[in-house]
Amino acid sequence: MLYEEKPDLKDLPSKAQLARSSVIAFVTAIALAVTVVLPAEYAVDPTGVGKVLGLTEMGEIRLELQEEFENDEHHSQIPNLFKTLASSLSGLLISNAYAQGQGDVVEFTLNPGDTYEVKLTMKEGDEVAFTMAVSGGRVNYDLHAHGNGESISYEKGRGSSGSEGSFVAAFDGAHGWFWRNRDDKTATVTLSLQGTYAALKEGS
Amino acid sequence: MISNLRERQYTIVRRSALVAMFTIALSLWLTATALAHNVTPRDAGYIQEIWGVKLIPFAYLGAKHMITGYDHILFLLGVVFFLYKMKDVAIYVSLFAFGHSITMLLGVWYGWGINAYIIDAIIGFSVIYKAVDNMGLFRKWLGFQPNTKAATLIFGLLHGTGLASKIMEYQISEDGLLANLLAFNVGVEIGQLLALGAILILMGYWRRRDAFIRQGFYANILLAIAGVYFMAEQIHGYIYFDAGQ
Repeated sequence: MLYEEKPDLKDLPSKAQLARSSVIAFVTAIALAVTVVLPAEYAVDPTGVGKVLGLTEMGEIRLELQEEFENDEHHSQIPNLFKTLASSLSGLLISNAYAQGQGDVVEFTLNPGDTYEVKLTMKEGDEVAFTMAVSGGRVNYDLHAHGNGESISYEKGRGSSGSEGSFVAAFDGAHGWFWRNRDDKTATVTLSLQGTYAALKEGS
Repeated sequence: MISNLRERQYTIVRRSALVAMFTIALSLWLTATALAHNVTPRDAGYIQEIWGVKLIPFAYLGAKHMITGYDHILFLLGVVFFLYKMKDVAIYVSLFAFGHSITMLLGVWYGWGINAYIIDAIIGFSVIYKAVDNMGLFRKWLGFQPNTKAATLIFGLLHGTGLASKIMEYQISEDGLLANLLAFNVGVEIGQLLALGAILILMGYWRRRDAFIRQGFYANILLAIAGVYFMAEQIHGYIYFDAGQ
């Protein structure tokens, strides 16, 4: 089995066998490319096989994530000076409305594929306790923050039917949740908040 | 005279066809690995969005990982390079598959975390080892032939540890983990068989040629160089991106 040993022709596939194998390999490659790779990578599914196999969903999620990623990069191209100015201005305005130990309850429904966001304006060191209840389905979420060019993710979940806890703002900025329903059922989310924060913004 | 000329022309045509086939196969594969390098973060993104049992998607990701992971394919190429009998190919590939399945499944299940750069450097070493072994240099240097089956199994176990480290980076949901992991493993084996099929067809054409033994020796030098390059890249990565933290 080492290099000194020449192959014995009788052990090797004949030319006819090789030609046949090449054709089979070629056809298999084309078939897999069309029914498996295109749906899974690009959500392109001309035969409908990808959908049956659950691979088209993978392609769709990929494209969606790619799009969101590119949009995110777009946001970060806003000049930093402008961002800093904007956030310090809004900080000035909001600081007047600052209240200790504020509380809110936010409720919304998410159809399959839908997304929703709740953002709290917080200062570094502010703490918020939360209870998130999910009924009817399960949701993915990301509890994260942006501000002054910084970003952080405090907690992530997928297929979650609820969560509770608290977090301390790591820096001044917008802190909050992003939800997405990847389930096939409509889910209702109830978020109860208690803690120190200024403005609450919500929307899909 | 005329028939001699025609024969020579025929040989040239055949030789160019063979070279063209190799080049096309190689460039297709390199393109696929290069593309996969860019989309792999999106694999992780997809996995982090889903939960529950998803057998076919995970099998697909396993097969994709194997086919586009040139380290595994290069080792596999080294293993079968001078195996002419299908029975031997089956034995050695099974040993490799058995080895990497064991450590891949147990590694993820028990969360054996090994630094990805270190394990990948070891995988690079396995390619060098196999190429040197193929060139008969161990026999020359050591005076005996190290057991090739044992080496295939041991390196299989190490390749599996590398696979496990990659899968753990994906952060697969606990919900449906075992089934998805098994599906990923089945996909890895399917990917390996597809790659092996292509390798054996190309080697089949090559082995029929008289120059195979001589060219095969040089090809194994290239294989060893590829292993050195891969290993150096991982060690560089370890020093600059990992040890510094």
